[in-house]
Amino acid sequence: MGNVFEFIQHKKGGHEVLEKSFVFKFLGLSFDLTGIIGSTLMALVVLFVCIWLSRKVEMKPNKRQNVIEYLLDFTDGIVKDNVSDKDAQKHLSLYAFVLFLFIWFMNMLGLFMEVKVGDWTVVKSPTADPVTTMSFAMMTLLLSFTFGMQKFGVGGYWRNYASPVGFLFPINIIEEITNFLTLSLRLYGNIYAGEVLLTLIGNRLAVSFGLPTMILAAPLAMIWQAFSVFIGSIQAYVFVTLSMVYIGRKVTKE
Amino acid sequence: MSEAFKYLSAAIAAGVAALAASWGNGKVITKTVESMARQPESAGNLRSTMFIGVGLIEAVPILAIVIAFLILFL
Repeated sequence: MGNVFEFIQHKKGGHEVLEKSFVFKFLGLSFDLTGIIGSTLMALVVLFVCIWLSRKVEMKPNKRQNVIEYLLDFTDGIVKDNVSDKDAQKHLSLYAFVLFLFIWFMNMLGLFMEVKVGDWTVVKSPTADPVTTMSFAMMTLLLSFTFGMQKFGVGGYWRNYASPVGFLFPINIIEEITNFLTLSLRLYGNIYAGEVLLTLIGNRLAVSFGLPTMILAAPLAMIWQAFSVFIGSIQAYVFVTLSMVYIGRKVTKE
Repeated sequence: MSEAFKYLSAAIAAGVAALAASWGNGKVITKTVESMARQPESAGNLRSTMFIGVGLIEAVPILAIVIAFLILFL
């Protein structure tokens, strides 16, 4: 068992790499322990929040039931606005709800805590890692393929790429790839930039000139954290909305 | 010497990204405020669309900021 695990060090010639994730290799595949810990933690949080909010369901809603009904209505509204096929709406409402909550909690985790062990960051926002956000975008992409092929058949789905005019086929293919890339990198860029700035305010600005900069840095860090909460919520909303738009476009007959 | 160029290029990338994002956002939010003034009952709808527009517009300038960080620290 000795050589099964292998640590991958990000050595960049003595430079500091901000927020180095702990990557280990197991049976030849690389695994990112930071992403695993963060997303498992947030999945458990979402699970417990949803279970806690949905105990004692009654006809006259009590306060906790109101909260979860409001959230469900919110994400159902997103799905209904962007997907016109009733059958797909039924399938997608749960996906939108879970994706929204999951991404929102993951965006908030990095503002709430960051755990460093030695040189590696062990707990941070999982969405500050491009691979995580690409996984979510890949889920949306594959779901859009599935829904499109279920509705139009495999041949009809490929024919849709050549509509309205035939020579737009390569442009539509490139549009798929662009949508995937921008969807994932938008979420990654927003969350990563917010975290890096927070780290810089705390570690560089606050200690550069002693007490005056510390007094300056404290409200600045608070303002930036508030702004990052806002940005994290907006980005979760935009991610879910754009996912629904991309899936919805595959199931509409033009 | 290459340290100086690193700082300069990161600053230029961040500055141009800030200009681009604020110009684009300004156009969208201006039109939203005008439309809300014209038709107050569709304010909720306009607000949601504005947030989607801002999220889309800020995507690539944020990537430019990430590239500036990578230039500085990698």
